[in-house]
Amino acid sequence: MKKILVCSIVLTLVLCTSSCNKWLELKPQDGITGGDFWKTKEQVQAAVTGIYASLLKDPLVNNLFVWGELRADMIAATTRTTIDEQNLMTTNILSSNGYTNWGIVYSTINYCNTVIKFAPQVLKSDPTLSQDELDAYMAEAYGIRGLMYFYLLRVFGEVPLKLDPSSSDKDIERIAKSSKDEVSRQIISDLDFADKHAFITYGSTAKDKGRITKYTVNAMQADVYLWMEDYQKALDACDKLVNSGKFGLITESSQSRWFSILYYLQNSNESIFEIQFDKQRLNPFYNMFGASTRRFEVNPVVMDEIYTVNIENPSLYDFRGNGASVNSSINVVWKYAGANGGQGDLEGRSIDDYTSHWIVYRYADILLMKAEALTWLGKGAEALSLVKTIRARAHALAATEQNPDPEDQEGISDYILSERAREFAFEGKRWFDVLRHAKRNNYSTSAFNRMLDIVVVNAPGNSQQAVRNKYRDFNSHYLPVNADELTRGGGLLEQNPFYK
Amino acid sequence: MKELKKNAFAMILGMSCVILVYLSACKKDNIVYETTSDVNITGYLDNHPDEFSEFRKILDLTKTAAFLGAYGEYTLFAPTNSAVDAYLKEKGVSSADQIPAKDLLDLVRYHILQDTIGTTAFTDGKLPRLTMYGQFLITGTANAGGVTKITVNRQANIVKANILTGNGIIHSIDQVLKPAKFTVAQMVDADERLSIFKQLLRETHLYDSLNVLPADNTDPDSTGRWKTLIAEPDEALAAAGFPSYQALKDRYCKTGNPQNPHDSLYLFALYHILPDAKYLADIVSSTSHRTYAPFEVITTKEKNQKVLVNDDEFNGVYEPGVEIVRNQSDNSAANGVLHLAAGHFTIKVRNPVAVYYDVAEQPELKSQPAFNGGVINGITKLDAIRWESGYTINYQGNAGAGHFKGNRLQLPMAAAASTKRAHWIEFVTPMLVRGKYKIWVCYRANSRAPLLQGYFDGAPLSRILNMAEYNLKNVSDAEMEGAGFKWHTDVTSNNAIVSRYLGTVDVKTTDKHLLRFEGVGTAGGDANGTWWDMIHFIPVDQDQIWPRFHTNGTIINKP
Repeated sequence: MKKILVCSIVLTLVLCTSSCNKWLELKPQDGITGGDFWKTKEQVQAAVTGIYASLLKDPLVNNLFVWGELRADMIAATTRTTIDEQNLMTTNILSSNGYTNWGIVYSTINYCNTVIKFAPQVLKSDPTLSQDELDAYMAEAYGIRGLMYFYLLRVFGEVPLKLDPSSSDKDIERIAKSSKDEVSRQIISDLDFADKHAFITYGSTAKDKGRITKYTVNAMQADVYLWMEDYQKALDACDKLVNSGKFGLITESSQSRWFSILYYLQNSNESIFEIQFDKQRLNPFYNMFGASTRRFEVNPVVMDEIYTVNIENPSLYDFRGNGASVNSSINVVWKYAGANGGQGDLEGRSIDDYTSHWIVYRYADILLMKAEALTWLGKGAEALSLVKTIRARAHALAATEQNPDPEDQEGISDYILSERAREFAFEGKRWFDVLRHAKRNNYSTSAFNRMLDIVVVNAPGNSQQAVRNKYRDFNSHYLPVNADELTRGGGLLEQNPFYK
Repeated sequence: MKELKKNAFAMILGMSCVILVYLSACKKDNIVYETTSDVNITGYLDNHPDEFSEFRKILDLTKTAAFLGAYGEYTLFAPTNSAVDAYLKEKGVSSADQIPAKDLLDLVRYHILQDTIGTTAFTDGKLPRLTMYGQFLITGTANAGGVTKITVNRQANIVKANILTGNGIIHSIDQVLKPAKFTVAQMVDADERLSIFKQLLRETHLYDSLNVLPADNTDPDSTGRWKTLIAEPDEALAAAGFPSYQALKDRYCKTGNPQNPHDSLYLFALYHILPDAKYLADIVSSTSHRTYAPFEVITTKEKNQKVLVNDDEFNGVYEPGVEIVRNQSDNSAANGVLHLAAGHFTIKVRNPVAVYYDVAEQPELKSQPAFNGGVINGITKLDAIRWESGYTINYQGNAGAGHFKGNRLQLPMAAAASTKRAHWIEFVTPMLVRGKYKIWVCYRANSRAPLLQGYFDGAPLSRILNMAEYNLKNVSDAEMEGAGFKWHTDVTSNNAIVSRYLGTVDVKTTDKHLLRFEGVGTAGGDANGTWWDMIHFIPVDQDQIWPRFHTNGTIINKP
């Protein structure tokens, strides 16, 4: 009897002590927890790299394209265009439309928020991390966050401002939307920080074009201030880039070479910031533009009215038109689907070669933004000369030349809008350009009528009147809050009144 | 003692078992018996009494609540409580039961469609289905004070759209919809701007045909039970030189009897009446519309947001059209639609003219750099030509001498069940004036081309098109014509350039028509190239051989 007792005690003890070690350990053995992370500067760097990696995730760039192009006039639907996409093109937008889901943008914002909140604590644990280096990492996070909110501002108008990270379920909170002004102010303040602390260079071209530099921030500032109609500040931001002397327009006498440098090899001297797809992480454009089952083609107005063709003398052509942005014989968006450009035989990219970057900003954009700012600051002649520079570089045709009076602000502005369509075809800017021009001075310029003509390009004949009337309600220029998001928002999120 | 302990233990065990059984039995499992908790339309109205209790009462009064609660596919435009209140007030009654049951039922039926139609299917015109009452509803949008709302029948705004229920869709509306009471004829009668047209309808006795309700109309063609009238206001007629009905009659009435079906005044009136209820949205959706004037169509198009009638190019001459005034049109009648034109338009007397159609000269291709002497491969879509999907057409601007303007279209075609080649191609012809024509197809021969059967508006042509056939050589023009051949360009030495007669067609209406070719047999096999250059439509009483064309496109008249 006593023997049994002793034995069982010993057994219990053995079992207890041996098991304690692993069974009760809560930390995962094959990963790092938040508590262990944020100790070294390599970890900060890894987290910042993670932000850029999130930009490559589907469907972010797909959405940036769709949001920036579909509501305007340069894209045509095919038989494979999804119902949601068709409904965007024909202004039949409901809150159940998948493109009203902003989740992917907030997921990148969350990566930024995480760095912004936790990176500063590394300063204590890693003495090799200097304050300047930390600030530079933070600047990248602030810069991307500003950019993401700027997209949200332009697509949705009012959005919730989420500035803290959600690292676990208990961090998830319901927040209401902030006004357009509040969102703009947040973007400005994010960009101010980034402007102050971002590096000018990271030592290699690919990094300089793929990471947030001071110049990227200036480009964003110019764009945001133009959107906010603060023309002096927009001009100042543009001038920082212009005066840096680090960028220039790619000027080539051969169209195919020009195409190759700017759109095939990429990260050119003209480029400021590009989302860097590569062979390991292909862009989403094969299914969108390249495959025989492609979802988008070039709208006929692009060649007929935007670039035009010189029938009398075919040796004159706009470098940006057929053979670069467009393959006009098959209506393909060639900027992303082409392996070569020019007027000879055109070769498409093979399916594993869909590596073209998503160009967010390039120098031509800066010059045209500067022209726009100058126009509304009453310096029409300077603005027109910049437009001339852009057109000369691209060998634009005489048929698309306009000669507005240097005093005619609306006339020059309209010319810039047209030139931007030619310069940035399919770069996800068209709809935002149209909206920025239309909403200027509280929708009081003639650009609003231009918008009404642009939005019916893809509308069927029997609903064009409805489409025009919808756009007369300015709330319709922004997408609705997604229906599921509204449900999850628990009544805090308010729907855009147009979609109620 | 031990025995007792044992018993007590057994007792406790037994009791606890009993308690356990009780406890567990007490709790009922919630078993879900329905596959969905979605309510049907009636259920939704029941769940939202603060919005729909009044309309719900009307459903009870009309005994329609039951079918809207049963399975089916419906679209209900549900007036809110304030809408129903306003309606009752307008009727001068305090509650719905004071309105005759039949009127109430008509009202309900006017708000229901037997299909599920969400707002994405709305257009500027009528909904694709009739209401149960038997009239169309039209949708649109209106902007007031910067806010755009979807309107129904121009009477109500949609408050909340696309409410999904188990058996259909509800759109709540802020006004009760009222069916049109007047016929097209009565509307013309009541409109002071239309006094001349009113008299025209009376004198031609067409008034009666525009005064029949669809339910009483015995027209075997169901679309004919509805009518669309494009009326010309007095002002427009005066501007065209007709200040009175008498002036109109003096100009057109040649037989002296406006009721004579062959009288031009009668035909003028008929030319303004179209079968079916055609709102402007329907009118711009098609390029031509049949009128009641025998074999006469109006052509329509939208240009800079304006709807134009008969804005055409005939034989290279542009004829400006007449606008249908948007904000005065789309007036719903109980049996159709009334539109107002801004000007005067009438049947044009035209004599058939030859049409030499260059199939390669498509507007989509003309705007491309390669059009002049180049090649455009892989064309998947053209407005005026259709072909079996999955195949592409090539444009060859370098086809060379013998081809009209040196260009042609190439489409691989076959008759056999080949998956590599298209089996049919369809051309929308240019405008052809009513009359009899001979059809010639001009092509570049290919010895491997299949046999094609042509169809003009669905009717087969008398001869098979054999594109493997070469032209006759060293034969006189007259002999060639007798055999159904001719030269269409000045290159008369290369017998691969062929123009082939396929048959005579009777073009019944002055309009664009459809010419289709289907592979029916293999002469040479199946060809990578069927090479299409031109199609000639030449009136039967005109010269079929001349004129010919230079390769650069200029005309060579008969020497």
